[in-house]
Amino acid sequence: MSIMEYNGGSVIAMVGKDCVAIASDLRLGNQALSISSNFQKIFPVTDRIYLGLPGLATDVTTLRERFRYRVNMYTIKEEREIEPETFAHLVSSTLYEHRFGQYFIEPVIAGLSKTPSGGVKPFIAATDIIGCLNFAKDFVVAGTASSKLFGVAEGLWEPDLEPEDLFETISQSLLNAVDRDAFSGWGAIVHVITKDKVTTRTLKGRMD
Amino acid sequence: MASLAHPQQRQFNPYSENGGTILAIAGADFSVIAGDTRQSEGYSIQTRYAPKVFRLTDRAVLAVNGFAADGNMFVKKVKQRLEWYRHAHAKDMPLRAIARLIQTMLYARRFFPYYVYNILGGIEEDGTGAVYSFDPVGSYEREACRAAGAASSLVQPFLDNQIYFKNQRPAPGTSHPVHLPLPTVLSIVIDSFTSATERHIEVGDGLEIYVVLAKGRNLQGLEGIRGMQELTVTEDGERVFVVRRELKKD
Repeated sequence: MSIMEYNGGSVIAMVGKDCVAIASDLRLGNQALSISSNFQKIFPVTDRIYLGLPGLATDVTTLRERFRYRVNMYTIKEEREIEPETFAHLVSSTLYEHRFGQYFIEPVIAGLSKTPSGGVKPFIAATDIIGCLNFAKDFVVAGTASSKLFGVAEGLWEPDLEPEDLFETISQSLLNAVDRDAFSGWGAIVHVITKDKVTTRTLKGRMD
Repeated sequence: MASLAHPQQRQFNPYSENGGTILAIAGADFSVIAGDTRQSEGYSIQTRYAPKVFRLTDRAVLAVNGFAADGNMFVKKVKQRLEWYRHAHAKDMPLRAIARLIQTMLYARRFFPYYVYNILGGIEEDGTGAVYSFDPVGSYEREACRAAGAASSLVQPFLDNQIYFKNQRPAPGTSHPVHLPLPTVLSIVIDSFTSATERHIEVGDGLEIYVVLAKGRNLQGLEGIRGMQELTVTEDGERVFVVRRELKKD
């Protein structure tokens, strides 16, 4: 029995033109038995940063609280919001603290960072369970459907997608990947982060 | 002298896994069967050109993936059975009959299986394009498309989306096509393999795409395809072509 497949679930994040998107399925399972079709794995960190936590569900809850605490401490001490790059390193070091007794989570980070000229720059990253960072320029995937997500996303993604096209691309990538994965599915949620707003849509998909 | 007190164990494993990926898509009056040409064992590449796709007759092409030694032996035996059929009946075996033959040949080895996934593509007796996919012990099904091998988990969901239009709704007043035109299918095949090459270490080096055209079908969709070669043997029947492409070698 693999502990990464105990509860199931998958997350994907993609870069677009001045926007990023992050999406996940909504299944919570106990091995092959589906328990919930409304289990959130993606959480807002700031107005411009979202964090996906696929893996062992008990660690999803623990890490969410842990990151909330650490981001709050950062905000108070620095008297400013955390930047996505900084947050990615916070995630990495938090996980590496548990190098020899890991949290069974593969975090995915999506956000917009501020540029000196006052614009925004898309940022995505993912880590393995002990915090090894992967700053990809195109897309990152994690969870039980990761191999399927790699295949579909590699085929569908293209550079400089506008927010609406990015939504379509990430949704189709996720939906078609989780339909071939027994541990993921049961609905999906997609967040598209742009300069002035975050659009959140819940997708039905096949509920079997 | 070896200690006789301790129990000893020896084992010989007759199987290995040689990577690679195969894929087939059926059209209305054609069939496309493709495979990469890398052969590997673990992290080592044994050769950059080991064909996995074979012309059986002018209307049947077989792609074999898994344990290469078993695959080559299996193709050899299928070809032999098809030659015997030709001598006995003075014609090529129909595609659906080849499919059933492959099932019985695989199931005959139920308790020492050929460690291979087979995909058979070609033209049915009614002139339609067909794809048959098999598991190692002969369970089979006729389908419109199928991917198998090392990167099947990467390619199959992409095919679900692009061939079956899964999770897509047609625009109002329209419907999804049941069969795609040949140029579209070829693009999807090439995209599938370049994607698989990008993300899977066991896929790459070369790509061989076999195209089987139904009797009397024109070459529409194949004109201007770079590096195409005809492999047809008999006149005025189905025609077989092969297209060879390079894939990344890293």
